[in-house]
Amino acid sequence: MELIALLILLPLIAALFILFSHSNILQYLVTSTVFLVSSLSIHLFAFPIPSITFVFSSSLETILVIFDVLLLLFFMYQGHLFRHRLVFGLALLQLLLYLLVEANLGSGDGFSLLMDRLSVMMSLIINVVGGIIVIYAIAYMKDEMISPFKKRLFIAYLLIFLSVMNMIVMANSLLLFFFLFEMTTLASYLLIAFRNDELSRTNALRALWMNQIGGVVILMGTLLAVTQFDTVYFDVLMSHSGGYLLFAIALFSMAALVKGAAMPFDGWLLGAMVAPTPVSAMLHSATMVKIAPFMILKFAPVLAGTLLGGVISISGILVFVAAAYTALSKEVFKEILGYSTIALLGLIMSLAAIGTEDSIQLAMVLIVFHALSKALLFLAAGVLEKVHHVKSIEAMKGLVQYAPKSVFFIIFGFMTLTLPPFGLFMGKLFALQAVSENLMHSPWQIIVLLGIIIGGVLLTLLYFKVVSALLSKESDLQVAQSETLLLGFSIPLLLLSVLIILASLWLFKTHSALPMSYLLVPLLLLLVIPLSYRMLEGFDRTTEYHCGEKETFDSALFYFDMSASLVRAMYWVFGLLFVGIALAGVLS
Amino acid sequence: MSALMTLLAPILGGFVYGFERVLRARMQRRQGPPMLQPFYDMFKLMEKRTIIIHALHVVLGVLHFFLLWVTVGAIFFGWNLLYVIFLHLFSLIVLVMAGYSVRSVYSHLGANRELLAMVAYEPVLLLVAVGFFLQSGSFEITAILQDSSHLMQMPLLFIALLMIIPIKVKKSPFDVVEAHQEIVGGVEVEYSGIFYEFLYMARFLEYLFIYSFVFLFGGDSSILGGFLVLIVFFLINLVDNATARVRTADMMKIVYFGAISISVINLVWMVI
Repeated sequence: MELIALLILLPLIAALFILFSHSNILQYLVTSTVFLVSSLSIHLFAFPIPSITFVFSSSLETILVIFDVLLLLFFMYQGHLFRHRLVFGLALLQLLLYLLVEANLGSGDGFSLLMDRLSVMMSLIINVVGGIIVIYAIAYMKDEMISPFKKRLFIAYLLIFLSVMNMIVMANSLLLFFFLFEMTTLASYLLIAFRNDELSRTNALRALWMNQIGGVVILMGTLLAVTQFDTVYFDVLMSHSGGYLLFAIALFSMAALVKGAAMPFDGWLLGAMVAPTPVSAMLHSATMVKIAPFMILKFAPVLAGTLLGGVISISGILVFVAAAYTALSKEVFKEILGYSTIALLGLIMSLAAIGTEDSIQLAMVLIVFHALSKALLFLAAGVLEKVHHVKSIEAMKGLVQYAPKSVFFIIFGFMTLTLPPFGLFMGKLFALQAVSENLMHSPWQIIVLLGIIIGGVLLTLLYFKVVSALLSKESDLQVAQSETLLLGFSIPLLLLSVLIILASLWLFKTHSALPMSYLLVPLLLLLVIPLSYRMLEGFDRTTEYHCGEKETFDSALFYFDMSASLVRAMYWVFGLLFVGIALAGVLS
Repeated sequence: MSALMTLLAPILGGFVYGFERVLRARMQRRQGPPMLQPFYDMFKLMEKRTIIIHALHVVLGVLHFFLLWVTVGAIFFGWNLLYVIFLHLFSLIVLVMAGYSVRSVYSHLGANRELLAMVAYEPVLLLVAVGFFLQSGSFEITAILQDSSHLMQMPLLFIALLMIIPIKVKKSPFDVVEAHQEIVGGVEVEYSGIFYEFLYMARFLEYLFIYSFVFLFGGDSSILGGFLVLIVFFLINLVDNATARVRTADMMKIVYFGAISISVINLVWMVI
């Protein structure tokens, strides 16, 4: 119990301190807070305590209601302020629904917070990966052209956000969950608009209205739970069966798809990439959007073997393929990473919705490794943006020439996402195995199988297409520059890389039936061969062979654009699938 | 036995490659080189003066060879087939990165095409592996080889595999990756001397890799497996001599609409 309170309160207290303290001690405060909460969640992970629970007192409940109403009023105000009817309307709709829920509230008792295996794992990711990102953010914000107070405010926002995330993964009360869901929406909105120019404002408003759809369906699901099952608690709700249970779950799953920016809602996550990079890393890749697969995982036991589970699984896998393909047409590095995030979230949701023991395990493994690898990539992208002022992959041509270290981290990140012996690859391998095993009794999963395979190769193509720009290096006859990374940048990057390797080893040892030699042979090769660098000094160097052509070299990047009609068709299909989830909920 | 086979894999592959050159020459009514030509080439290349562009390029090229060697070894040792396919992907990606690491037009074009070719053949390999799994209940190569022949249950998957073999052994109609006349050998173009030899030997290993898949269709009967390999080997060379190169985009279409769809049909038929 005290542990939960610490996880939630520590970042909040630190955030308060930061706001009213001097900028000099900022990094010490943040680092020690991050260290504390990370060790707490590692402790919880290593020594699991069977279900810790916590019940809110009635005064806390009342405060929650007040906060909720204030938050929705704030959204309405924003809609009014920026003359955005959709934002205003959706906020109003939520307010009405919320009041309706409150009016129908029964007297059933339950736990407001409940910590199980899933939430322990999620909080581990949130505190470790999120923590590393906050530490990185200090270095990132250092030379931003804003007042010191606003810089501290930014860090404080991130810390408050850590606390919100810690709470949301433990929330057992639907109303608390709704409030925190809206808080993450608020965080997205405020942090996307942080730079306060026109583009960020438009994108922030788009993120706001799309995420509010998630809020609306959660409230509709809650209303259903309250009226049909007379409960506002996840665990009680899921112990029921029949009736409109699956319809309620379907509504919650729709909220998950919105939060996970599954198509047709990919627009908001893409727009979110205008935010400062630590925000993209923390909210829009490593932690916040993970609520989406987290929600599906929460419902996985109920979803297993139902029509609803099937529909969610198929939509997820289609998102995986479609987002991977769409990413091939993008030019801005962070947008590419954004689409690859959408794709992988789709994959994870798809596996989670299958709901067998294996696939649930797998989805969890993928969440961990995706968080680590994507955080690494985003932080490296931040360095490129901040230090070398490149955003588009077109501008990254030959980057290795003057930024070898950053390029190394990016390529390492890509390799951890695709290749053995790293965790994410292993996740895909196990996924193929698990789905193949299911094929016999549920042949529809061949769609999932095909999706995993094709989406996987498309993502590989995407990542290494980017490498083609990064890696084109001049001949050794030209002297390459060395790159000095700030400690504030290199330590988080190194930490993440080491974590990926350690976690991969751990995964291989505990979760796979494959012998350790499978992993060690390629790993040893990777280590031994670069040592031969020295041996190459004896060979003469030359320039490239151009077949006598005089043209200067330009590494040509290729793009796959979809025709406008195809894009339209795609959004229609995904829109229909989104509605189809609700329909499947009613039918099953 | 497996250890010995693994150790000798590049030499074994060299013989296969030499044999193929003889076979193709005979098909074209030429005398052709002797069987041992790949080895003569090797000695010649080792004597040449080696010049390199930069160290990273060379290291990646050599790493490609060794990873491929490990992959082929993993097949001989009967490892998990999916893992083998991903190890192969690893070696390919290293080659692609080698191609991208130099500022050379042809090398980049070659690497681009390697990647696109990967997008084409990789799904088929994985689907074939899933087919084997449905048959024998395991992805372990040793288990796959203990079942009776898989050919009757997986005819369309076998055809799909045949369609992608030319991509891997760089034969017409799918030899866009190498395409000597257009892009002067692609990724290989910037290698010389001893380091070119590594890439040359990597090609032998590719032969062993892809033909092992054909061998697996024989199941527990290694005679049938060997027979299948021979027939397919002959067929691929026949097709190579009889067809012209198609463009990359067409190759993708043919593989996706042809090979992948029939693989899926075969799998659906197997599970229903």
